[in-house]
Amino acid sequence: MDQEEIIKDTKDADEPRIGVFICECGVNIGGVVNCQDVADYAGTLPNVVSSAVNKYACSDSGQSEIKKAIEENDLNRILVAACTPKTHEPIFRACVEEAGINPYLFEFVNIREHCSWIHMKEQEKATKKAQDLVRMGVFRSAQLDPLQSNEVPVTDKALVIGAGVAGMQTALDIADMGYKVYLVEKNPSIGGKMAQLDKTFPTNDCSICILGPKMVEVARNKNIELMTYSEIDEVDGYVGNFNVKVRHKARHVDLGTCTGCGLCVDKCPVEVPNVEFNEGIGTRKAIYVPFPQAVPLRAVVDRSVCIDCGACVKACNSKSIDLDQEDSISEIEVGVIVVTAGFDVYDPEPTNDYGYGLYDNVITGMELERLINASGPTMGKLVRPSDVKTPKRVGFIQCVGSRDKKSNRYCSSFCCMYALKDAQLIKEKYPDSEVYIMYMDLRTPFRNYEEFYDRARDMGIKFIRGKPGSVTEKDNGDMVVRVEDTLTTEVIDLDLDLLVLSVGAVSSESNERIRQILKVSRAADGFMMEAHPKLKPVDTTLDGIFIGGVSQGPKDIPYSVSQGSACAARATRYLSQGKAITEGITVDVNDDLCVRCGMCITMCPFQALSLEDDKVNVIKALCKGCGTCSVACPTSALEQSHFKNDQLLAQVRNVFTFEE
Amino acid sequence: MADRKEWEPKIVAFCCNWCSYGGADTAGMGRFQQPASVRVVRVMCSGRIDPLHVFNAFLEGADAVLVTGCHLGDCHYVNGNYKTEVRYQFLEELMIEMGLEPERLHLSWISASEGEKFASFVNKVTTEVKKLGPSPLKPEGVN
Amino acid sequence: MNVNVGDKLLGYATDPGIRNRGASGGLVTAVLAAALERELVEDVIVLKHINEYEAVPIITDDVDEVLASTGSMHTVPVNLAKHATGKKVAMPGKPCDVRGVIEQAKRNEIDIENTYIIGLNCGGTMHPVLTKEMLINMYELDPEDVVGEKIDKGKLFFKTQDGEEKGISIDDLEEAGYGRRESCRYCDVKIPVNADIACGNWGVVGELAGKATFCEVMNEKGVRLLENAIESGYIQVEQAGEKEIAIREKVNSAMLGLVDKWTEKIFTDIPLQERMKYYMEQFADCIDCGACKEACPACTCKEESKCTMYHNLADDYKMSMYHMVRLLHLSDSCVGCGQCSDVCPVDIPVTTIFRRFADPAQKKHNYKAGMTLERPPFLEVMLK
Repeated sequence: MDQEEIIKDTKDADEPRIGVFICECGVNIGGVVNCQDVADYAGTLPNVVSSAVNKYACSDSGQSEIKKAIEENDLNRILVAACTPKTHEPIFRACVEEAGINPYLFEFVNIREHCSWIHMKEQEKATKKAQDLVRMGVFRSAQLDPLQSNEVPVTDKALVIGAGVAGMQTALDIADMGYKVYLVEKNPSIGGKMAQLDKTFPTNDCSICILGPKMVEVARNKNIELMTYSEIDEVDGYVGNFNVKVRHKARHVDLGTCTGCGLCVDKCPVEVPNVEFNEGIGTRKAIYVPFPQAVPLRAVVDRSVCIDCGACVKACNSKSIDLDQEDSISEIEVGVIVVTAGFDVYDPEPTNDYGYGLYDNVITGMELERLINASGPTMGKLVRPSDVKTPKRVGFIQCVGSRDKKSNRYCSSFCCMYALKDAQLIKEKYPDSEVYIMYMDLRTPFRNYEEFYDRARDMGIKFIRGKPGSVTEKDNGDMVVRVEDTLTTEVIDLDLDLLVLSVGAVSSESNERIRQILKVSRAADGFMMEAHPKLKPVDTTLDGIFIGGVSQGPKDIPYSVSQGSACAARATRYLSQGKAITEGITVDVNDDLCVRCGMCITMCPFQALSLEDDKVNVIKALCKGCGTCSVACPTSALEQSHFKNDQLLAQVRNVFTFEE
Repeated sequence: MADRKEWEPKIVAFCCNWCSYGGADTAGMGRFQQPASVRVVRVMCSGRIDPLHVFNAFLEGADAVLVTGCHLGDCHYVNGNYKTEVRYQFLEELMIEMGLEPERLHLSWISASEGEKFASFVNKVTTEVKKLGPSPLKPEGVN
Repeated sequence: MNVNVGDKLLGYATDPGIRNRGASGGLVTAVLAAALERELVEDVIVLKHINEYEAVPIITDDVDEVLASTGSMHTVPVNLAKHATGKKVAMPGKPCDVRGVIEQAKRNEIDIENTYIIGLNCGGTMHPVLTKEMLINMYELDPEDVVGEKIDKGKLFFKTQDGEEKGISIDDLEEAGYGRRESCRYCDVKIPVNADIACGNWGVVGELAGKATFCEVMNEKGVRLLENAIESGYIQVEQAGEKEIAIREKVNSAMLGLVDKWTEKIFTDIPLQERMKYYMEQFADCIDCGACKEACPACTCKEESKCTMYHNLADDYKMSMYHMVRLLHLSDSCVGCGQCSDVCPVDIPVTTIFRRFADPAQKKHNYKAGMTLERPPFLEVMLK
C-alpha cells in the first residue's frame, strides 16, 4: 500500500479528533496527580474531542472504554497518559488498531515513571507537570501520520559462516527443517577448534569421536552445500535478500576427484611446522591432509611454502592436483545469515606471559591438547618441549589472557574446566605425576561440572589459590613458579617440569573481518554484540543476521551447540514465513526538497541510503528508523516518520505556556 | 499558591528510546524524587537530536536542555551516539560563544539501568539553573 | 618537460601578445586557453572586464573570450564557487573561491574531478563600491579616470588616464576603513594550496619580475593542466630556484603576520555576559532577505531549507532561528570568503560573526573547511 491508500484507509483524511485518556493506575498515578484536573484541562486543548479518566487504562475494561469512545465520538487519534511506552505502547497500539485506527496515530504520555513516582510529595506541581506533558502529547498527536510496516519476501536459503561445532549444528538444524544451507568454512576442513581437542569435559569422552560423525553428517546432508577453504568477501542487501560473494581459495586439489589417499603427501619434499592443526608441534608437508578425520578428507596445497617441484602432481593417480589454480568467486543469494566464526586462542607470546616464548617448557592449554591427543604429533605421549621427556610435575596457571585488565577483562568461561580435564588426563595417564592448578577462582557451573572438580580433587590434583608472581627457568629446563597461596598466605616456590598456561579466547581476526563486512556491532570485549543480552541472545540489531558460538563471546561446547540450534530456530522463522516485516518507523525523502548533497548517505550505519540516478534512495528493509540521517539533511527533505521535525517542534513548543 | 513562590525552571530533556528514556523510567521505578522541572522528549536515538530542536527549545523558553543517550559503544543503532557527541561539541561551543551559560546545556550518557544517575543529574542541573535564573533566550511572559 | 606534483615552477605565456597583456606573463590566461583549445575542458569560467571596479563571471567556450578576460584585480566582485557547476570546466580562483568550490564539491554540486582550478595567490580584495568611495575621499581622484592599479611595498597605487600615479599605504587606508574587505584581513589562506595549481607573482624577481608567474603544482589535475599547456605550446616553464621559493614563502609569512595582527584587532574578546546582547544587537537589523544564504558557497540548498523553513518572524524569538541554524552549519563549514557581509543590505558584519564561531570550532577539531574533500567532523564518524 502506498501512503495515499493508507490515509484513505484510516480516518486520517479528516481533521484530527483526539481522544485523551488519563490513567490513574490505581493510586500509582491517581494518588499524586489529580487526574480529573488533567482530563478537564486536556478537554480545553485544540482538536481534543473527548477526555476521560481511566482507573486502569490497560485493563480489559480500560481498553473497552477507549474503543467505545472511538466509536461514539468518531475519534481518529488517541492519547493515553499512563506509564511507560517501553512496556505498554504495544498494548495500546493493538487496542486502537482493533478499533480501526492506525497504530501509529496512538500517542503515549508517561505520567507515572516521569511524573507521579518522582514527585510524590509535590502533588500540585506533579498535576501541573502532567498537564504540560499531556499538552505536549496532544499537539504532537495532531501532527502524527499513519504508518505501515513493510513486508519483504525472503529467499529460502541460509548462509552459515564458520563450520565449527556451533555452525555445524546450525547448518544441520536448518537443513533438517528443509531449507538449503550454504556452510562456509575458511579452513580446508570443517570441525573448528573442537576437532583439535583431546577429550571433552565433564565426561572425558574423546572429542573427535563425538564430533567426527557430526562432521560426516554435515557432508552427507543433501540440503547443506559445504564450501570449505572459502571466505566471505562481500555482503549486500538486507533481511530476506542478501547477496553474498564467497571467495574459494585456491586449494590446488580437485575436491571431486581427490581420494585423500595421501600419496602426494608422501612424495612432497617440503616439511614445515604444523601450525594449523597441531599448534606448531610436529610438521606437515606443503601438500597435506588437514587431519585424519578431516571433512572433506582431501589434500590441500600450501603454495606459500611449495617449491613447485611437481612431485605431488606426478604422484597423483587421479590427476587431481593443479598448482596453477587461482581463487574463484561465487555469488549466492540467501535470506538469512548466521555467523559462527569462532575465536582465536589467546596468544601469550607477544607479552611473554609467565615466560611463554622465552622458556621452552611453558606451553598453552591448546598445545597441551595436541600433546596428549592420541592422534597428535606425539601419539598421545606427554613430553615436554626442551628434552622430550615425560614431565613428572605439571602446573597450570589459570586466567592467562582473561580476567586481567592488561589483556582482557572478561572471563573466558571454559579454561577452568579444560584445566581440570587436562589435569585429570595427565593424572590418569601418569598416576605418579604431581599436578598443580594455580587459580584465582574456579568456575564450575552447570550439570556435573562441580562434580568434575570434586573428582579432580579426589584424584590428588593440588589446587593453589593464587596468581603466580614470577616464573623462572632452571639450567635443566625446569620451571620455578613463585606463587602465594592466598588461603594460607604462604609464598611457595613450585618446581615444575612443565608449565601450562590456561589461555582464554579472543575474538579472531576473521571474526572481526566478518563483523565489519556485516556491520554487526562490536561488544567491549571485541566479540560480536547480541541484540539483547537476555531476550535476544543470538539476534543482532540487524534483521536476518544471527550470531552463535564463540563469535558472540567465550563459551563451552554445550553452550555453543545450544546457541547453534538457537540460531537455526531464530533464522528459520524468516525462511518458513517466507516474508519479513520491517520497521514502520523509517525515513522518507521528499524529492522536492532534496538537493542531492549526499550528506545523509554515510550517516546510515545500515547502508539504507544511497544516491542513485541523482536521487536519494531509501531501502526501507534496511532502515532501522533511528533518524540520525535526518539531522544531517540541510533541507528537511529527509524526515524520520513518527519523529518528524514538525512533530518534535510541536511537542517542544508546548512544554511552555504564556504566563502572567 | 504555595508552589508558585519559588520559580521552577523548565528543562527539556531529549532522551533516546533505548537507554536514557529507560534511565528516566528506572528513576521512576526506584522512586528517586526529582524537582518537577524536566519535560522528557523521546526520540529513537540520540543521533536524531537535531540541534534545530535544541535551538527551538531555548528560543521557546527552556532554561536548560539535556541531550542524553546510550553510553558510547552501547548505541542501539551502532554508532548514533558518536555522531551525537561530535555534533554536540559544535553545538555547545556555539551556545557558549553566543553567551549562554554552560550550565544550561548538557550532554550525558545514561543507560536504562541508571535511574539514580538520571535523578541526580536532574537534581544537579535544576539546582544550578535555579541559581542562574531564567534563560536569557526565554521570551517575555513564557514559562 | 615533465611536470610532477610538488613542482615549483616559473612560467609565462609563449605568445608575446598574451604575455604582455596578462598580468605576470599571462600564464593563467594561457593555461585556461590551452585547456579549452585542447578540450581538456568544455568551458572556462573567467571574469569579464566591465570597468576598473566591476567584472562579471562568465562561462565561455570561446578561446578569444578567455584571452580577452581580465587578469587579476584587487576589486573582485563575487565568489566564483557557485558558478562552477555543471560540465568539465577550468577556472581561476582566489583561495576562498577554491575553498568554496571544494565545499560545493562535498555537497555534490560540483564534480571536482572535472573541475580544474587555477588558484591565485591573494593578499586580499576590495569591495568595488568602497573602492570608489576611497578614490574620492583618500586619493582625491575621479574613479572614472582610473585606468590601473598596483600594489608595491605596502602601498596601493592608482594610475589615471593622464599618467598620474598616486600611492597610499594600505595600513593607512585600512585604518581609515577602506582597503581590503574585513574578511580578507584575517583570512589565513593566502596561497591556494587547495587548488590544482597555485599561481602568483610572489617569488618572481630579477629579470622575470612582472613577466612570469610562480606556479606550484598541487595535484595530478595540476599536472594535467600544465602539461596540456606546455604540449600545446601555450606556455613555457622552468623550475623555480631556491631564492624564488624563499622569497615567495617570505611574502606569505609577512601576509600571515598581518593576519595575526588583524585577527587580534577584529576579534576582540566579548565578555561572556555581554555576548548574547552583542549578537542580538548585531542581528537586530536583519530584514530576512536571505541574501547571505544565497551567496554562501558552503550552502547548496535551494530556497527552502532548515534555516528558512523553521524560521518564522511571528515567533518573535530573542535570536533568529534562521541565524542560529546557519551559525551551526557554518561553524563547521564557513570558508570565510566574506560574501555574506558583501551582500548584506543592512551591513551586518555577517562573515566576521560567523568566523567568531567557525574559527575556534574548526581549529579545535583540526578541520578547516574548503581545504580538502574531508567532510565536517560529525559526518566523518565511521563505524566503530
